[in-house]
Amino acid sequence: MAVNEALRVLRTVHYDETHYSLYLAAGSIGPATKPGHFTMIQAGDGLRPYLRRAFSVADVAKVAGVPAMEFVVKAVGVGTTMLGRLAEGTPVPVLGPLGVPFPLDDLASSDRVALVGGGIGLAPLVLLARELAARKIPADLFYGGRNEKEVLKRGDFERFLGPHRCRYATDDGSLGRKGFVTDLVTQALEGGARFRRVFACGPLPMFRALAKIVEAKRLDASFAFESELACGFGVCLGCVQPTTNGRFATICKEGPCLPPSVIDWSRIRP
Amino acid sequence: MTTDLTVRLGRLALRNPIATASGTFGYGLEFAEFLPLGKLGAISVKGLSARPCHGNPPPRICETDAGMLNAIGLQNIGVEAFLTETLPELHRLGATVIANVWGDTEDDYVAVVERIGGDRRVAAIELNVSCPNVVKGGLIFGNNPHALAALTRKVRAATPLPLIVKLSPNVTDITATARAAVDGGADILSLINTLVGLSIDIETRQPRIGFTTGGLSGPAIRPIAIRMVWEVRKALPKVPIFGIGGIETVEHVLEFLIAGADAIQVGTANFRDPMVSARLVDDLARWCAAHGVRRVAELTGTLRTRPRPEHTFA
Repeated sequence: MAVNEALRVLRTVHYDETHYSLYLAAGSIGPATKPGHFTMIQAGDGLRPYLRRAFSVADVAKVAGVPAMEFVVKAVGVGTTMLGRLAEGTPVPVLGPLGVPFPLDDLASSDRVALVGGGIGLAPLVLLARELAARKIPADLFYGGRNEKEVLKRGDFERFLGPHRCRYATDDGSLGRKGFVTDLVTQALEGGARFRRVFACGPLPMFRALAKIVEAKRLDASFAFESELACGFGVCLGCVQPTTNGRFATICKEGPCLPPSVIDWSRIRP
Repeated sequence: MTTDLTVRLGRLALRNPIATASGTFGYGLEFAEFLPLGKLGAISVKGLSARPCHGNPPPRICETDAGMLNAIGLQNIGVEAFLTETLPELHRLGATVIANVWGDTEDDYVAVVERIGGDRRVAAIELNVSCPNVVKGGLIFGNNPHALAALTRKVRAATPLPLIVKLSPNVTDITATARAAVDGGADILSLINTLVGLSIDIETRQPRIGFTTGGLSGPAIRPIAIRMVWEVRKALPKVPIFGIGGIETVEHVLEFLIAGADAIQVGTANFRDPMVSARLVDDLARWCAAHGVRRVAELTGTLRTRPRPEHTFA
């Protein structure tokens, strides 16, 4: 059940010119949020931006003793830039939690899972790592970005999963392996790693490559999709992706977490 | 003082003039967790076709200044699933339901309307003859007064329910299509549907939505919609009107009523705030009470225009 409430800005932490973490008071949305859930956040009260923006909840934890939700944001347009400039205490309209979260309830501590993130797609994986750690389910992180600066929240991942379980790839080699994050996954699988489930969030090219890998290895997987959308609750039908049954699935309502096997990758146009 | 918020649009009686627009309110049930559906004047459901429709490939929407473009392509579950699976629940929740319908051909329209027939759980049928986002149908009827009159006549014969025709703003003279719809037997007009627009990604030089063009909605179109409501009210003073276009606040509702609308439909604002339509009912009651308005219906068509000058130059 989604709630629409105004939540105050507790803190904003800027990592560089474009990436930041926005911490909002948890309200009643925070405690109801599971890994993979998202929210619709209104930036400003004017006409630009007009629509709310969709953000996965990156983490639910206390900030200076106050229950908070964290959103990891890349400023790419007017809405995401505006949200990064809000003063502490500003009330922000938030609708959530929304969507289908990552499937976790069938996992046991004897299972081992993989987390694959690309760029800003790390967002829902932080809360997932926290939850997996709480459930004592071992997880390996494979996380790629353009350069070291774009590989965010490493401290949290290494704290939740253990530093030896976190591997990185960057386009320029400034951190970890030079190359794609999917190369790391292939390498691990070739090295004998077996994953009960692969959780992923990142750009479509990463998804496309990873979908091939998990299909070839017959691995169970759940991808958290991102899409341009207007409403966030299954009404505007703007966010759809093509499915293998010849239809379209709403990313906001049937997703955002979907098995890659239901997506018809051949019908996704660049 | 309590204001009488009820309005009558011909045979269609509504508990208040705040309805929601087709394509922005799903089948209504999606909003049941956000507001009591029975509080609204009416809800116009996502355009129904004789058979289910999967819609256009993405990208389907993009935001523009003070609005958005969409080319969903009328994705819907089809009239059969709506009547058997959705309508009973809407009825149970006390919603006043307007069935918005569309087709590629006259026969398609008649088929979906015949299937609804005289179902009393449906308060009215709204013909979508103005969707700019499908290859066939839609605008073929919406832009041509003769085709529109003929289609409306055929549909009129297929149902005893009040018949609304939703007009396209993508015409030179909206009063021509308004007259054609009424000549064909429309009881009520709703206006406006979206305006055809185009937005471009300058880096890729591609249109920002897959269908190339899309329908512009939101606050950006509001003054155009109000002007068209005013024009149609002047041309057809006795025909009831649903005003639609960028409505977000009670002030916007009042502008439409004063211009000549008997009721309004909230559209794109439902995406930004799913509770907005219920809040508008309360805000309208409050405004009327504060302004000594006894019946909201008395506001309709009360625009006081100034005389226009006879010559541009002295």
